[in-house]
Amino acid sequence: MKTKVTKEEGQITIAFTGRLDTPAAQEANPIINPLLEEAGKTIIIDCKDLTYISSSGLRIFLTLRKAAEDKKGKVIIENINDDIRSVFMMTGFLNLFEIR
Amino acid sequence: MNLKEHAKKIAEKAVKRRTRWTGLLLIIVAVAILGAISLIQAYYAQKGIRDEAKTKAESQLDAIKSGILNVVNQAESAVRNNVWLAQWCLQIPDSLANIPKLIVNNNPIIAGSTIAIVPNYYKDRPLYSPYTAITNGKIIETSLATQEYDYPSQEWFTKPIELDKGYWSEPYVDTGGGEILMTTYSVPIKDNQGRTAAVLTADIDLEWLKALVNDIKIYPGAFSTVVSRTGRLMVSPDDSLIMTTTIDEYATKVEDTASFNALNRAMLNRESGSIQVTHNGTKNMVYYTPIDKTGWAMNIIIPEKEMFAGLKKLNGLIRLLQVLGLLLLILIFRAIAKSQLKFKYISEKKEKMESELKIASDIQMSMIPKTFPPFPEREDIDLSAALVPAKEVSGDLYDFFIRDEKLFFCIGDVAGKGVPASLLMAVTRSLFRSVSAHHDNPKEIVSTMNNSMSDMNESNMFVTFICCVLDLKTGKMQYCNAGHNAPLIFTDKIGELPVDPNLPLGVIRNKEYTLQEIDLHYDDAVFLYTDGITEAENPTHGMFGLQRLKETLSGRKPAQTHLDNVKKAVAGFVKDAPQSDDLTMLFFHYLNNQTKIKSVQSITLSNDISQIHELEKFIGKIAEEKDIPESLKSSINLAMEEAVSNVIMYSGSKTADISAQTTEDEITFTVTDSGKPFDPTAVPDVDIDQNAEDRPVGGLGIHMYRKIMDSVTYKRQDNKNILTLTKRIR
Repeated sequence: MKTKVTKEEGQITIAFTGRLDTPAAQEANPIINPLLEEAGKTIIIDCKDLTYISSSGLRIFLTLRKAAEDKKGKVIIENINDDIRSVFMMTGFLNLFEIR
Repeated sequence: MNLKEHAKKIAEKAVKRRTRWTGLLLIIVAVAILGAISLIQAYYAQKGIRDEAKTKAESQLDAIKSGILNVVNQAESAVRNNVWLAQWCLQIPDSLANIPKLIVNNNPIIAGSTIAIVPNYYKDRPLYSPYTAITNGKIIETSLATQEYDYPSQEWFTKPIELDKGYWSEPYVDTGGGEILMTTYSVPIKDNQGRTAAVLTADIDLEWLKALVNDIKIYPGAFSTVVSRTGRLMVSPDDSLIMTTTIDEYATKVEDTASFNALNRAMLNRESGSIQVTHNGTKNMVYYTPIDKTGWAMNIIIPEKEMFAGLKKLNGLIRLLQVLGLLLLILIFRAIAKSQLKFKYISEKKEKMESELKIASDIQMSMIPKTFPPFPEREDIDLSAALVPAKEVSGDLYDFFIRDEKLFFCIGDVAGKGVPASLLMAVTRSLFRSVSAHHDNPKEIVSTMNNSMSDMNESNMFVTFICCVLDLKTGKMQYCNAGHNAPLIFTDKIGELPVDPNLPLGVIRNKEYTLQEIDLHYDDAVFLYTDGITEAENPTHGMFGLQRLKETLSGRKPAQTHLDNVKKAVAGFVKDAPQSDDLTMLFFHYLNNQTKIKSVQSITLSNDISQIHELEKFIGKIAEEKDIPESLKSSINLAMEEAVSNVIMYSGSKTADISAQTTEDEITFTVTDSGKPFDPTAVPDVDIDQNAEDRPVGGLGIHMYRKIMDSVTYKRQDNKNILTLTKRIR
C-alpha cells in the first residue's frame, strides 16, 4: 500500500496504490490528517491503482469530505474500479462524492 | 352440433326462460309491496300530521280561551265584589254614583261602569243611571238616563234581569271615544226585600282580544276568528267584517256554503270539533270551540297545504328511495339469475358425477405408495409422504422407489380438480414409473414425460412436477423442476432448494429442461410439497404460508412426525374453513454416515491489526480450493475483514478464532472471540442516504458485512461472542 500526495496551485491530489484495508488505512491516517487543514482546496482522490477498500479506507474519504464541506472545498474521486464502485454503492458513497 | 350439445342447449334455454319468468314475477311482487308500503305510509303520515295539527290547534284554542277568561273573570269579580256595596247603597240613592267610580278606578281593564236603577224603583227619580267612564286616560262622570239612550230597553239591562244572573252583552262598537269594540258585563242587584232594584255593569274594551288571538301562530298561514253568540265576527283577518257581518252572511258569499253552514251551526250551538272547508279554492281544516261565560265561540283555520308541506317533501324523498331500491333489486336479481343458471346446470349434473368421483378417488389412492416406513431395512433413509385430498378427487401425486442404489422421488400437482385432474395425475404417475425405469437423469425423465404428455394433451391441462434422483452412496442429488414450487432443504438451517422454474409438464413439446445438483450430507433432509399447504386458507382468507411451514418443520424429527405436525398445524390454522386444495408432501431425511464429513478449515488471529493480512491469505486459499471467482472472493474478504477487524480493535479479546465450513454451494464462517459481549446484528443499520454532514464516520463495517453476506447470526455462548456469516458461492 502506498499513499502519494501531490500539491499544485489550489489543488491536492492523493493517489492510493494497492489495498486500502484496515492496517493500510491506519498507516495512511498520519499522511491524510495534515491535509484536512487545506480542505478548502480541491482534493482529488485518484483510485486508478486502488484495488481494494475496507470501511477504514472509506472513513478516510468521508473525513476528507466532511472537512471540505466545512471549509467550502471540494472532493473529487477518480478512476474507481468495479469492485470499489460496488462498495461505494453498498454504502451510499456514490451519492456522497463527485466521482469521475 | 352433436345430439348431446343440442340437448344441453335446450336445457339451458328452459332454465333461462324459467329464471326470466321468476324474475318478472319477483319484480311485480316487489313493486306491489312497495306500492302498498307507500299507501300505508302515506295514510299513517297524514293521520299523524292531522293528529298533530289537531293537538296544536286545540292547545292554541285553549291558550286563547284561558287568555280571554282571565280578562272576563277579572271583570266579573270586579262587578260581583261590589254587589253587596250596591245593595247597601240602594237605601241612599245619592251614594250609588260612587260605585261605578270605584269599579273604574280600581280596575284598569274596565273602561266604564254604571249602576242602572230599574225604572220607578225610586219614586222621585224614574230613571237613574250614574255612569263613570275612562276615555283617553280621563275619567268622565255622566248619566245614562237620557231620553235618546233609553237604558231600560238596552240588552245589557234587560237580559240580566230576565235571566236573573250575570250576563255578558253582545259586543258592540262604542263610538263615544273612537270606534272601540266593547262588551258589557252586568249583574242584577236586589234589595233586602228581594226585588230587583238595579243592574250593575262593567264595560271592557276588546282591543286586546285581537292581539291575543293573532299572537299565537302554529302555521304561518293559519288564522283565527272569534264570533259572538249571534254569530257576529269579533276577530277576523279582514277588519272590515268585524261586527258588520255574521258568519251566516259570510257563508252565503263563499263557494263552499254547505261546509261553512255546518261549521256555523256547530259553533253557534257551542260545540267543539273540527271540519274541512274549502275557501278561495284551498282546503282548510277548521278547529272550533266555545268560550265559556261570554257566549262567544272561536276557531282556528289551517290551510291543508301548509299542514302537509313537510309531508310532501318527505313523500318525494320516499318515492326516490323506492325507485332506487327497485333498481337495486333488479340489478341484484339479474346477478342472482346469472348464478342461478350456472348452479342449476351444475346441480343437475352433480349427483351423477358424485358416484364417478368416488370410484376415481379410490383408484387414485390405490396408486400411490402408502406403506410407511417404505424401506424399513435401510438405515440411511427415513422417508414418509402423505396426500390429504380436498373434497373432490385430487390432481396431486407423489411417488418414490429405489433402483440401483438410487432413490427416485417426485411430487406433482395437476392444474384443476375433479375427474380430469385425477386421470391426468394417474397418467403422470404411470409415465414417471415407466420413464424412470430406463433413465436415471432427472432431466431426461422430465423431458420424456413432457413430450409424451404434450402429445396427448387435448384438454390443455398441465402438471407442475419436480423429480429428484439421489445417489444414496455419495449424497449427490440431481433434480429437475417443471414449474413446481421450490422444496425445502434442511442443512444446518432450513432453506429453499434453488430450483430453475422451467415450464410445467404438458405445455410445450421439446421444451428444454435444466438439470440441477446438490450434495446432501448426513442429517440433511428434503421436504417436497404442493402449494395446497402454504396456500391453505383460514376462515378469514389468511394463508398458512411458508414461514409457518418452516416453523412447523424445525428440528430433526422422524419423517412421519414431521408430516403429522404439518397436518395438525394446517388443520389448526384453517379451523372450520373448507379444505380448498389437496395437501401433499414428502419428507426425506438422509442418514448416510459416509457423507458426514464436510470441509472445515480454521485460523486463530492475535489482537494485532496487521493480522488482517493473515485473514486475507486464509480466505485466498479457500477461494482457490473452491474455485471462487475473484470479485466474489474480494467481497467475502471485505466482509470478513470488517467482522474480524472489529473484534481485533474493539472486543478486548486477545485472539479471534475463524473457521470456514464449505459445502458445494456455500461457505460459512464462524468468528469466535472471548471479548466483551457485542451483538452486531442488533446494531441499527446506518442510513446510507444521509448527506456527508450528518453521516457518522463509524458503523460502516457492520453495514457492509451484513450487506455482503447472505446471513449473519450472533450468539453468546460460554462467555464467547460467536458470529456466523454465510455466503452462497454457487
